Amino acid sequence: MGEKPKVAICWLGACGGCDEAIVDLNEGLLDVAEAVSIEFWPVAMDYKYDHLAAFGKGEIAVGLVSGHVRNSEHAEVAHLLRDRCKLVIALGACACFGGTPALANLVSREEILDAVYVKAPSVVNPDGRLPQVETAWEEGTLRLPAFFDHVYSLNQVIEVDYYLPGCPPPSELIRNGVRAVLTDDLPPKGSTLAPRKALCETCPRNKTKPMRLEIHGPIRRIHEVEADPEMCFLAEGILCMGPATRSGCGETCIRSNTPCRGCFGPVPGVSDPGSRFISSLAALLKVGTTGDPEAVMASLGDPVGYLYRFTHPVSTLGARRLSQATEETP
Amino acid sequence: MGYKPKLVCFSCKFGWAYLRDMNALGEDAEFLTPVECSGRLDALHLLKAFKEGADGVLILACEEGHCHFQEGNFRTLKMLYLLRDVLEAHGIEKARVRIEFSLDPEGRKILGRIARMKESLSALGPLNRALL
Amino acid sequence: MWNTVSKGAAAVEQAVKQYLPPCQEQCPINEDIQRTNVLISLLPEDPGEATAGILQIGDYLYEKNPFFAVCGYVCGLCELECNYHSKGGAIKRRLLKRFISDTYIPYLEKREEWSLVKHKENVAIVGGGPAGLMAGYDLSRRGYRVTIFEASDRLGGALWLIPRYRLPERVLESTLENLVRMLGMDVKYNVRVGQGKWTLDKLRNEGFKAVFIAQGTPTPRILTFGRDKVEGQDLSGVMYGHTFLYEVSHGNIRPNYFRGKKILVIGGGNVAFDVARTARRLGGQTSILALECEYKTSRDGIPADVEEIRGAWEEGIRIIYSRGVQRIIGEGERMKGIECPKCLQVYDDHGFHPEFDLADTMVLDGDILIITVGQGPDWTALQSEGLVDAKGRLAVDPLTLQSRNKEWVFVGGDLRKIGFMVEAMRDGLAAAESIERHLQGRDMTEGRKRLFEVQDIPLRRHYLSEPEVVWIPPEKRMHFQLFERGFSLKEAIEEARRCLACGPCISCKACLSIGLRESLNPVEVLTDRCCGCGICVSACFYSAIQLKDVEMGRISITDSFKCKSCGMCVAACPSGARALRDDPLEGILQNTYDRLS
Repeated sequence: MGEKPKVAICWLGACGGCDEAIVDLNEGLLDVAEAVSIEFWPVAMDYKYDHLAAFGKGEIAVGLVSGHVRNSEHAEVAHLLRDRCKLVIALGACACFGGTPALANLVSREEILDAVYVKAPSVVNPDGRLPQVETAWEEGTLRLPAFFDHVYSLNQVIEVDYYLPGCPPPSELIRNGVRAVLTDDLPPKGSTLAPRKALCETCPRNKTKPMRLEIHGPIRRIHEVEADPEMCFLAEGILCMGPATRSGCGETCIRSNTPCRGCFGPVPGVSDPGSRFISSLAALLKVGTTGDPEAVMASLGDPVGYLYRFTHPVSTLGARRLSQATEETP
Repeated sequence: MGYKPKLVCFSCKFGWAYLRDMNALGEDAEFLTPVECSGRLDALHLLKAFKEGADGVLILACEEGHCHFQEGNFRTLKMLYLLRDVLEAHGIEKARVRIEFSLDPEGRKILGRIARMKESLSALGPLNRALL
Repeated sequence: MWNTVSKGAAAVEQAVKQYLPPCQEQCPINEDIQRTNVLISLLPEDPGEATAGILQIGDYLYEKNPFFAVCGYVCGLCELECNYHSKGGAIKRRLLKRFISDTYIPYLEKREEWSLVKHKENVAIVGGGPAGLMAGYDLSRRGYRVTIFEASDRLGGALWLIPRYRLPERVLESTLENLVRMLGMDVKYNVRVGQGKWTLDKLRNEGFKAVFIAQGTPTPRILTFGRDKVEGQDLSGVMYGHTFLYEVSHGNIRPNYFRGKKILVIGGGNVAFDVARTARRLGGQTSILALECEYKTSRDGIPADVEEIRGAWEEGIRIIYSRGVQRIIGEGERMKGIECPKCLQVYDDHGFHPEFDLADTMVLDGDILIITVGQGPDWTALQSEGLVDAKGRLAVDPLTLQSRNKEWVFVGGDLRKIGFMVEAMRDGLAAAESIERHLQGRDMTEGRKRLFEVQDIPLRRHYLSEPEVVWIPPEKRMHFQLFERGFSLKEAIEEARRCLACGPCISCKACLSIGLRESLNPVEVLTDRCCGCGICVSACFYSAIQLKDVEMGRISITDSFKCKSCGMCVAACPSGARALRDDPLEGILQNTYDRLS
């Protein structure tokens, strides 16, 4: 009798939004439950890691993994999933590219621990105690995961078969992705299960662009202005990452009168969309004969935070592979 | 000091040394890379230079108002303002990337500019590879 | 210094439909203006080192235009359409050419005869002016044996009308002499075809398989008022401008010939101003009288160039607008003055139709009256040779220049249609092409109608003003030396740098020709990546990119005629959807990266 394929859904350094997107399938979840057997989903069901480890190698057909990797628990579970799952799909921006939390790559582990455990205004910690990986106690040794110095995307830790980007990925995209897996209707390994072109292709506001798109003088960020609900943001001089971001999200943000922030990551052929967009902005932002180019470019406010919001670990300066040597605990 | 900074110098062919054989500039111009318009350089090219081992990048562009392709040089300047912010956020000093605008058909100024940049790179020390 | 190559990969392509910069489109012979501008801008600043490059540029110019040295003094048609016109002033291209010619002329005088194989038929050219000489140049290069029949004792035709203070004698003479010398053209002087012994049939019998007639317009137009000839044009002291200028050019008029005399010049064109300024230099107190008004932009505006008018005014010539001449007042056999009614209108919707207010008439005294109201062909010769139609007009096809009455006869230059020197030269080239097609029995019109589209000005923030052109102060100009100062090497380089190179690469290739760029790689749009964001449109300074709605969505496309392969769009594309095919940059960068690590 045909056994239902096994599915594991796991979160690493995650906020739970991607799991929420799966739940948002609503009635569709029932269809999913009929088609597959969900063997592991810590968020929704009470399974422990031992349960996952008990499976044989490759016994689980698909592992949907959300969240980035930034501590040793994430890394261990990632390796475990890779072993037990035939296919691993990186689910969501954090797994695909590192996600927003990866902006922490711009500060050191020491600074983070210091800020959270010592300097935070509501913390009283006169001895400056920090969490330790191992703490000896009467009853035994307590272990905590080691906190890495860098945030990694999933593919910098294990081999990833497919990617479902987004923050979170739209439920439809997830359903279609899973269906593709189950019907074996898949593109080559390493592909992203989303359209290939950037957002402008599907954006409802693209046609409102003028013949020659130009932004004169400083660029505005969305909180600085009242945006016209129908005009292309860039055409209005408002910063939007659409041209550098893969489409497939259904333009939820755009339809809420908010410009794109890049959560679907780069299009095929580009690995570092933030750095690519630097040159695009340099071309797009025009400085008049009396303008100050430095001031105009500074109007972006926080270029690093904006350009690499979801993709720092896959950017040129941020990319590295997780190796044991680099992440030994101090 | 022992530390010899690795400087990648991009120069625009339409403004620098087009009347001179660039290959004859010698060792001091070891990583001199002539390109057709500084405007062709995007942020990724410069970041890659750092990643591959450069301690600094110098761009020799054409004089303001004299770019053969109208304003490629100005475009590069705008790009560099953003790039420098990105570098600084990663702990890489802004002074490691510089752009200079001039006209030098005979190539008389190139070696001097390279030497000057190398001097300031020496003062900064080698690029901390851990940052990359 | 450079390896200037004018053939092969760096050759300018002859497309039937083509984009050109406006200057080249305006030039009647589509000279490679942009290319020479760019080459000049890349010259070294040391005059000694620059000579080789200047001569290379000169050689390159000469190939297409053996009269380029003369053009550098007298022709600025290209400047009228220069895109920079409204942004700070047209590029002073004429002066750039003059700069080249000043170094080139001594070198031209020593250039060797060209080794040409003249294995084709004999062709006769009647008239040794720019049209005829240009036809002779082209035909000789194609292998025809050319004989020029010149009515006077010197070649050059109407070019001799140009005063010395605008065109130095050496430049004109060297251009003419060396052209026939180097190309081995046979010249017969003092032979007037169409009169007496020498007819077209005789030429035929002598073995000439085709004839190009470019005799020009030697007959000055007489002064008329309404439909009537003005009486008194045979009085003493009355002469025609063209005759006068020819006499001056022969050196027959001594300096200060007109001292103490009042000179009245009639006419509003450039030739009339040449006459007036020449008369002034001969010591005359000179006035010039034109039918037309002073508002150059109106239909009735005076046709002379602004620079001529300015020069005349500075030199103390009185310019009287909107006046005609009804009567020449004589005293005995001598001219004494003219009666000039006010001209209210020169042209109406149908053409030349002057209207006067006879109640407003002024009388001007004068000793000499020089009538310069145009010139026409020798109609009797044309008629006797059977080249006119039933209405007495010249019967010639305007595209091929072939006579409609005699298929082996071709007509061009001022004789066919009055125009500028370079327009006559264009006729010469057209005639050469027609003659070859005729003698080879090929189709006369195929592929000859060239359509050009004009490129707009590239976009940038700063545009620079034109340099000031220096003229000698008017009080120091009363001689026939040049009054306009040309460019020094440094000034020429600077002005040539100001040229924006509006035109497409295929009609220039200056950078390729000196090896500054190795190739012009076409831009490719990867249509499976382009999302139609439009950032490339904004990045392109040449407006070569557009967004287009196609089946797969909205994508960007590049007009390959306008594209300069500069790569700005490639750098700006956020999807990495653009690339230059076989882009050498990637290899160059990779080489550096490899050596770094």
